Amino acid sequence: MDWLTPSSLLYWSIIIYLTAAIVAIFFYRHPHLCTLFAQSGCIFASALGAASALKMILFDQETLIITPFESTVPFISISMTLDALSAFFILILSILVCCVSLYSIGYLKHYYNKRNVSAFHALYIGFILSMIFVFTAGNAVFFFIAWEIMTVISYFLVVFESEDVNEKAGLIYIVMTHIGAAFLMIAFMIMFVYTKSFDIFGSSEAIPATAKSLMFVFFLIGFGVKAGVVPVHVWLPYAHPAAPSNVSALMSGIMIKTAIYGLIRFILCYLNVHNTWWGILILCIGIVSAILGVAYALMEHNIKRLLAFHSVENIGIILIGLGISFVAFSQGNGILGGLAISASLLHTFNHTLFKGGLFLGAGSIQYATHTKDIEKLGGLIKKMPVTAVMVLCFSLAISAIVPFNGFVSEWLTYQSLFSIIIPGQTGINIISILAAAALAMSGALAAACFVKLFGISFLGKARSECALNAAEVPASMNTGMGILALFCLVIGLFPVFFLKVVDKVVFSISGTTVIGELQGGFLIAWYPINVSGNAITPSAIFIASAVIILATAALIRLVGGKVSERKYGTWDCGFRELTPRMQYTATGFSKPLRIVLRILYKPGRMLETEKGDSSYFPLSKKYRVWTEPVFEKYVYDPFLTAVKRFSLRIKLSVQTGSTHAYLVYIFAAVLVLMLYNRLA
Amino acid sequence: MEFFFDLLSVLVLLSSFVLVSNKKITAYIKTFQIQSALIALIAGIMGWSIAVNEDKYDILIICVIIIALKVIFIPHLLYKTYGNIEYRVEKDFFMNIPIIVLICCGLVVFSYFSVSNIGSLTGFHINHQVVNSLSVVLIGFFFMISRKKAIGQIIGYLVIENGIFVTAMFSTNGMPFIVDIGIFIDMITAVMIMGIMVTRINKKFESINIDKLSKLKG
Amino acid sequence: MVNVEYLIVQIIVVIMAAPLVNGIIKKTKALSQKRKGAPVLQLYYDLFKLFKKSTVVSDTTSWIFKAAPYIVFTASLVASLLVPVTTMIDSVWYAGDLILMVYLFALGRFFMMLAGLDAASTFGGMGSSREAMISSLIEPSILVTLMTVGLTAKSTSSYQIMEFMKGVDAPLIRPVYLLTFIALLIITIAETARIPVDDPSTHLELTMVHEAMLLEYSGRSLALMELGASIKQLTFITLLANIFIPHDQFIFISGAGAVLISILIYLIKVIFVSILIAVAEVSTVKLRLFSIPNLAALAFILSFIGFMQHFVLGR
Repeated sequence: MDWLTPSSLLYWSIIIYLTAAIVAIFFYRHPHLCTLFAQSGCIFASALGAASALKMILFDQETLIITPFESTVPFISISMTLDALSAFFILILSILVCCVSLYSIGYLKHYYNKRNVSAFHALYIGFILSMIFVFTAGNAVFFFIAWEIMTVISYFLVVFESEDVNEKAGLIYIVMTHIGAAFLMIAFMIMFVYTKSFDIFGSSEAIPATAKSLMFVFFLIGFGVKAGVVPVHVWLPYAHPAAPSNVSALMSGIMIKTAIYGLIRFILCYLNVHNTWWGILILCIGIVSAILGVAYALMEHNIKRLLAFHSVENIGIILIGLGISFVAFSQGNGILGGLAISASLLHTFNHTLFKGGLFLGAGSIQYATHTKDIEKLGGLIKKMPVTAVMVLCFSLAISAIVPFNGFVSEWLTYQSLFSIIIPGQTGINIISILAAAALAMSGALAAACFVKLFGISFLGKARSECALNAAEVPASMNTGMGILALFCLVIGLFPVFFLKVVDKVVFSISGTTVIGELQGGFLIAWYPINVSGNAITPSAIFIASAVIILATAALIRLVGGKVSERKYGTWDCGFRELTPRMQYTATGFSKPLRIVLRILYKPGRMLETEKGDSSYFPLSKKYRVWTEPVFEKYVYDPFLTAVKRFSLRIKLSVQTGSTHAYLVYIFAAVLVLMLYNRLA
Repeated sequence: MEFFFDLLSVLVLLSSFVLVSNKKITAYIKTFQIQSALIALIAGIMGWSIAVNEDKYDILIICVIIIALKVIFIPHLLYKTYGNIEYRVEKDFFMNIPIIVLICCGLVVFSYFSVSNIGSLTGFHINHQVVNSLSVVLIGFFFMISRKKAIGQIIGYLVIENGIFVTAMFSTNGMPFIVDIGIFIDMITAVMIMGIMVTRINKKFESINIDKLSKLKG
Repeated sequence: MVNVEYLIVQIIVVIMAAPLVNGIIKKTKALSQKRKGAPVLQLYYDLFKLFKKSTVVSDTTSWIFKAAPYIVFTASLVASLLVPVTTMIDSVWYAGDLILMVYLFALGRFFMMLAGLDAASTFGGMGSSREAMISSLIEPSILVTLMTVGLTAKSTSSYQIMEFMKGVDAPLIRPVYLLTFIALLIITIAETARIPVDDPSTHLELTMVHEAMLLEYSGRSLALMELGASIKQLTFITLLANIFIPHDQFIFISGAGAVLISILIYLIKVIFVSILIAVAEVSTVKLRLFSIPNLAALAFILSFIGFMQHFVLGR
């Protein structure tokens, strides 16, 4: 049937999104109805989008060009192009949107009658649409417009809760991303100068090698800012926590992936990787981001800031994969390049799932307790058992622990690192082994961090009233998260099917297929993932574990017989007054690492004692410990001060306020223009 | 034979890492002693094979001198100096130890990069014993920089000397006999003078922190 | 697909031999201190008794606390299945490799740390927090070590690596293997809560790490945790023994007899490595918690320089 083609499915999905947005604006007086219509519209539209993308990837390999709008003005035509890579990112987007929308139906309740919910829906849908356009843009101008719309709308979403802090966050965000966008624009201009075309799918042969390298650097900076790689990550920990949780799930889950899309689309597909140093540079950035992201996450006690720093880490891991693939492609090793980029794409997908889910989980915690501070939580596993299980799943997944999806993509990354090391080439070997070490360390630190997150907020006793009075969140929220958690587990256990999807994408990019190397079967997960003889079979491990658990339980029963179980208080050394305040706090938990990695944090502490009658009985003691935002303090602040000083000088010398001076400027400008006209 | 040299050069490198990651003065001296013993072993093996093949005994003699001097005499001197001063453990560093160790690791990579284009020290492939022993020299230097106490400086100096000696051994199968002897005599003098200096500084300032020496200027 | 004999032999040997290692280490320590010490089989008696005892569970805990011992034990056991005790049986167990093994241990550790936090006791939190630090510092060295060894054998599967190592004559005099061996020895000590890092025999809050997390456990849960820990220890020892001191190339017969001989030699090697660890434990003192990074840095550079000797300097 005609309407089942990918293009028409995508078309319909966009129309439904638009309708949902209009309906949402129409029903602005009834927040409840408005939410229901808008979000169910989104769910339906995203399902269509996912269907379109899957169909595109699995059946049609031809690139589709959809041009809904053509104009006589040059470059102002909306030309949408759908190929396997775009389809893959639309697939990720759609899956996430589907879950987040389901979640939002419940979550938005606490905005009713406080904020303009219908405006929120319009922005939310606009945000999703702009991302679809980014992924499908066929020419650079349209890409850039969509990119800017995405930035602006996400800015409005960040400041939606309009508090002072959020406005500062929004400001940092929009300034940083625009600096990035400026670099992209320069790169696009270079592209036009040499090829006389903005066509992304065109050939880049006309561009000389140095200009290509320059474009690579500009793309890297431009997309790097959006992806939040170190050292341009500073906006991320401000913007993500400020936005409402469902928006942060989208932002962290998919918006920062537009940068990954951009890197693959423009550098790998458009420019073709020629130089080894491109890959090595990306690899180095990946290593630094992976380590520093997680290291800074450890020190955060605001759940959403913590998660935001983990986005930096995971982007780093994705970039490690991407870097290896660039190196391999530049050396002409197609298979390894394909493997590495599959690892990187799979990790992109996985990160979308678990990070989206974690932000939703953070939203649930906030919904139930009205706080984002871990130190105030505790014991939530008893109040919110379903949320707890879900957050535990996501935590295990992001820490790359075995039966979940994070492990599969990290394993593939390890394998590609393993394959790139061959005796004889020196620099790449050293960097690759360091990348492996960085990957291991970031995995372990992430585990530490999520033990902290989960252990402090869900286990133990409640540390404050708000945690004590928490209640389970509405079912729609849990369902949204549940689907994501299920995806995490299913990909972890049966990776081969998803690798097949990724492999088709990789095939369309690089013309190599790795699934043959991987020896995997369609949905038959018993087959191991196999990379040149190294194999894992997650499902077999899972089955073995299940059998062992059952056998152990049975055996213990057999050996030990039935024994009683006694409930008693926690061991308190006979003190008998164990209070929740005596539990380990998140600050205490991360203290050893704070001391060991002090070079990264520059921690400080202060103890204030108010003396009483005797020095043995002080009236009060105040202990404060802090870590410094090293990058902001030592990189950005000096730079900002310099800029400020410079602007002030300009202001005093040029911006005098006298009308005559301004007239002189205009006059001079006119003269210069005329002179230019004569000379040029 | 080559394997033995590989192994021994790695062990010498390893001993200098052990030195860098230690804080105790006795451990410094002991590690230096072990390192010197390893070097004596290298000289011994090399000297034996030369003695068998070419009938020259100078490296074997040097081996004996090393054992007498670096394994027995200088450590003994150092222990005596150690007995005269009151501190036992080095406490304050400019950087913490893991960072120092990682920097030393970077030094190994660096010395590889610097040597890798020399190419034909022995044959065409780069000689990785030379890389290892050159790293020992750099690590010795860095050890001197990172330690504040004078006794650390002495050990650092000795390790540099060890490194240079091994580098010479590996790259040219030993320097002329007279040069080696000259170096050894210099070294003894240096250590003796420094040993006396340490005791003097200790008496004068009641500390052997060499930062205090900056008080001596004008 | 899966060789059932392999799994059966592997499970039986691992579970039977794991507590033995603890016994040998304790006995060696006792003998070196001129004590008589507990019998070598003490841990077996303890475990057997613990299985029969009733349990006390803190009333602040959740299901995590009850599930953790099973998960820790299972993760350790499954991980140990990935490291064959003998290469005489072709494992055909392509379920995993050494990277998977590391992450299976991470699964166990994750739940152990959570269990430490579950009872709302300060001890548990302290143990978890310290374990988090130690594990994240030691993890890079594990991966670099295993990858270096794996790279020389061009595989990350432990069976393949062991097969390859049979062909290498006298591995321990080659720089790359010597350095990775020492690195793995340090890692083993750190991962299994042995003396320079953690003191398994005290319950003093200043020093304990592993024990602090288990403080709330009793009865069969405790037994599972202990057994899990000793299986983890045995797995690392197996890696040390079977990769760096391969023995199966000297067995020229085949069949069940060969397997038996191979396992016997394996056990002798395990005893040897256990004694090595015990000697290391006797001759050092417990490090301050914040000196552990020094050890971790040392393990890292050992493995890194090992890597460099082979893959950068090239020999």
